[in-house]
Amino acid sequence: MGAIRSRLRGFAAAALSLGLVLGAAACSAEEPKSADGKTTITIQWFGSPGFDQAIKDFQSANPDIVVKSENRGQLRDFQPLLVQWLATGSTQLGDVIMMEEGTLLEFLQDPSKWTNLLDLGAGSLKDDYLPYKWENGFTADKSKLVGLGTDIGGLAMCYRSDLFAKAKLPTDREAVSKLWPTWEAYAEQGRTFKAANTGAAWIDSATSIMQPYIMQNSDTWFYDRDNNFILDSNPKVREAYNFGLKLASDGLTSKLVRWTPDWDAAFKNAAFATVPCAAWGTGVISERAGEAGKGKWDIATIPGGSGNWGGSYLAIPEQSTKKEAAYKLLTYLTGKDGHLAEFKEKGGMPSTIAALDDPTFANATNEYFSNAPVGKIFGASVKTLKPIYLGPKHQQLWENVLERAMQAAEKGDLSADAAFAKAVTDGRKLATG
Amino acid sequence: MTAHTGPPRRRSAAPYLYIAPFFVLFAAFGLFPLIYTAWVSLRDWRLVGGDRGFVGLDNYAEVLTDDRFWNALGNTFGLFLVATVPQLLIALWLANLLNRKLRLQTAFRMGVLLPNITSVAAVGIVFGFIFADRYGLVNWLLDLVGADVVDWRGSRGTAWFAISVMVDWRWIGYNALIYLAAMQAIPRDMYESAALDGASRARQFWRLTVPMIQPTILFTIIISTIGGMQLFTEPLLFNYGRIEGGPLGEYQTIAMYIYQRTFRGNTEYGYGAAMSWLLFAIIIAFALLNFSLVRRSVRGSST
Amino acid sequence: MSTVVTPRRRRVPGGRLWEASPLTYVGLVIACVLSAFPIVWSFIIASRDNSSVYDIPPPLLPGGQFVANVERLLANDQANFLIGLANSLIVSTIVTISVVFFSTLAGFAFAKLKFRGANILLLIIILTMMVPTQLGIIPLYMLMIKLGWLGSLQAVIVPFLVKGFGVFLMRQYTASAISDELIEAARVDGCSTWRIYWQVVLPLVRPAAGVLALLTFMETWNEFLWPYLVLTNKTPTVQYSLSVLAAGNYSTDYVQIFTGTALAVVPLLLVFVVFGRQIIAGIMEGAVKG
Repeated sequence: MGAIRSRLRGFAAAALSLGLVLGAAACSAEEPKSADGKTTITIQWFGSPGFDQAIKDFQSANPDIVVKSENRGQLRDFQPLLVQWLATGSTQLGDVIMMEEGTLLEFLQDPSKWTNLLDLGAGSLKDDYLPYKWENGFTADKSKLVGLGTDIGGLAMCYRSDLFAKAKLPTDREAVSKLWPTWEAYAEQGRTFKAANTGAAWIDSATSIMQPYIMQNSDTWFYDRDNNFILDSNPKVREAYNFGLKLASDGLTSKLVRWTPDWDAAFKNAAFATVPCAAWGTGVISERAGEAGKGKWDIATIPGGSGNWGGSYLAIPEQSTKKEAAYKLLTYLTGKDGHLAEFKEKGGMPSTIAALDDPTFANATNEYFSNAPVGKIFGASVKTLKPIYLGPKHQQLWENVLERAMQAAEKGDLSADAAFAKAVTDGRKLATG
Repeated sequence: MTAHTGPPRRRSAAPYLYIAPFFVLFAAFGLFPLIYTAWVSLRDWRLVGGDRGFVGLDNYAEVLTDDRFWNALGNTFGLFLVATVPQLLIALWLANLLNRKLRLQTAFRMGVLLPNITSVAAVGIVFGFIFADRYGLVNWLLDLVGADVVDWRGSRGTAWFAISVMVDWRWIGYNALIYLAAMQAIPRDMYESAALDGASRARQFWRLTVPMIQPTILFTIIISTIGGMQLFTEPLLFNYGRIEGGPLGEYQTIAMYIYQRTFRGNTEYGYGAAMSWLLFAIIIAFALLNFSLVRRSVRGSST
Repeated sequence: MSTVVTPRRRRVPGGRLWEASPLTYVGLVIACVLSAFPIVWSFIIASRDNSSVYDIPPPLLPGGQFVANVERLLANDQANFLIGLANSLIVSTIVTISVVFFSTLAGFAFAKLKFRGANILLLIIILTMMVPTQLGIIPLYMLMIKLGWLGSLQAVIVPFLVKGFGVFLMRQYTASAISDELIEAARVDGCSTWRIYWQVVLPLVRPAAGVLALLTFMETWNEFLWPYLVLTNKTPTVQYSLSVLAAGNYSTDYVQIFTGTALAVVPLLLVFVVFGRQIIAGIMEGAVKG
């Protein structure tokens, strides 16, 4: 038996050493510890909202709260994690969570997972925010406020004045804005531009007009307010879809897919003359078009006058045990001072009226875009913005279903009707499945 | 302390103790998940919303009428064929080159094996740039020789081609070494007698070398099948990390579709499990087909 | 589908009848150039600035930006590349040690110890090699949720501590490399079964164990789907970090992506340079009995 015991001992030793190594490896994610009675809260975000300075400011004003920030990659990486954490009540879930407006409503499907900010006193903040931003933070029955706004994606039309000059179109931004009071006028100018044979397309992609077009003309998109899937019967979405594809069939689009290396390179190569740009998109363009494009880009108002593309919210999970401190941080980051700090850091456009009117934002110009008064242009685009109901799964329905179908139709792989029918079938499966 | 002072050795305990860790861990993380997949596939079970109960074969019925499943399955098989046939042919040719008196023999062997040791993710990313739709390296080359620029992600055929290049780049050298080993095991006198019969080198290759290493070829086909049915990373990164595999799913493989339905969207575990089992059945059928081919070829060569 | 490493022994001279013609060398050099090009290219791009990614013709010489690019890569707090490298090293090392240990142990038992059910158990192991792990991925994922392992390294270590292929490989090798007489002699000398394994078998199976270790290490290092599913960017493996870089296409810092791919390949290249012969021998000898 001694032999067996010694064998067992050998095993135990092996298992133990393995266990120790494993244990060490498992310790890489450390728990926030409260030292000196301080409250540690964790904020989790995606992308680059520019919270760093704002959090520093918050820390110096609130020495009793320690803020741990976790940059969780891009929305696409963060979204599935969030779904998983909420479903399993994971301890990895932070105290303040950033959510994209297109995905917010998916999480509102089960509002019990989220803290009602009205209970923490957010009701008094109503008039601080743009109505659009405020309304979209609520559950469908308006009983629960889940998120307060960080940035908003005011819309304008960015254009290349050098290509405009080549096509003998006006280049001054006031005059350019007057060229396209409506989308029809925009398309008409596109045909003029094409006739001038500059070698560039009028717009990057047929899908680019969807967001502003629908925002201006409809208060619903994929869902009605009872969360029924209405893509097949929403006339304005179909109208926008047809309009975009008409641009494509007229040869005005460059048929690119956003966020791909080819799209990036097309900026450098001046492959198109105009692109609807959200406030956060000016940096996207300057980064891609590079030094060579400096001063060649300019910004005019968007056809139809108003629009929003993207923007985010902050919310507090119900499971958080530090709601008071979390709420303090949340309201700071979504308040005027926070918004202005975020604007300075990464250019995120404020969604509070006070910050929008503050000279820091209102008088801002953008050197890259020929010193365009971005504060004024983007500010104007959101003042008249009407709230739109996006509904659960909006983001996926757009990114994975309708946008894909529209790209297929734009490239001519499917007819416009067939692609739309496919989007309806696939979309219904996703929305009701 | 050791056995010579103890009672007569109990031979029965030690072996079980030695194989136990394997079976315990395998049961927990290999066998259990596999069997549990079957159980999950009979239920409407999601991450969000939880287990909604037994639904019998409903998931399977839905899979069979799901045209995106068939699309993904077709893509998987199509990609498998487009990738594997040239891969094995080029590997054969390469093995034939290596199967000679060579200077720098080891260097050449390492050279062709190099792609196999790089990470799939790195390969996927780099090839994503090489096959960029408009401004990529391959299109630059095409442009240089006066050919039209290809929109690689624009159609099924071109996307399959590009993805196949990625897969083949990684696996040709590996297969070539396997073939080389098999070729070196062929007795020399067989070639000598073939040469005496006046067979040309090409004829010797196709009539002697290839038949002699046929079992090895079938082995590589089976390995490629198992790999091909699970193809995921290359098409995913080719499409810059997007799981839908093109506007119409032109290059979404079955593994990508399972991933999309199970871990994205409505997080449908039950539906994903049903697809997994169907995929399993397909792989088994394929393996059996291969097996019968091996058997026939063995019987054929022994009679 | 049995890959078997047979112990080194003199093979009947065969093959390699023909002298290599110049054309042979041309073909092989082209093959090697094509093999190396994507890797070399990513290293070149990684040493230049961002404009070179789309430079036409592509740059063929390295630039001087490598250090700056690495610094930018390491400062990227979404990809956490350095943590990814360290984690990959930890994960691959633990998995490799465990797989080799348990495989040699079980392989020894199957090859040299007589026990009831050995054949059927071995058959089960062979069958498990046929089953793609991906098929059990959904329950495995649910299991990780239950255990609370999502986002931590156990999730990519524990399920992979054993490998059917390894047991089978070591069984074949042990059976043919170690004679029964040797085992008996050790027994007569009074060695316990454990000491026979530890002091007699283990040293003698080192060649095959080494190949198994190399293959396991590289395979674990390169694993993509599972880490992509269960880890997060706070505890990534290097492949996860790469996926963050690649999918983070809201940025156009391509050079950073290339720097990442280059660095992720470096450890494997080192292994390859040092152990290339053994790896090739492992693959080729494995094929003979295939």
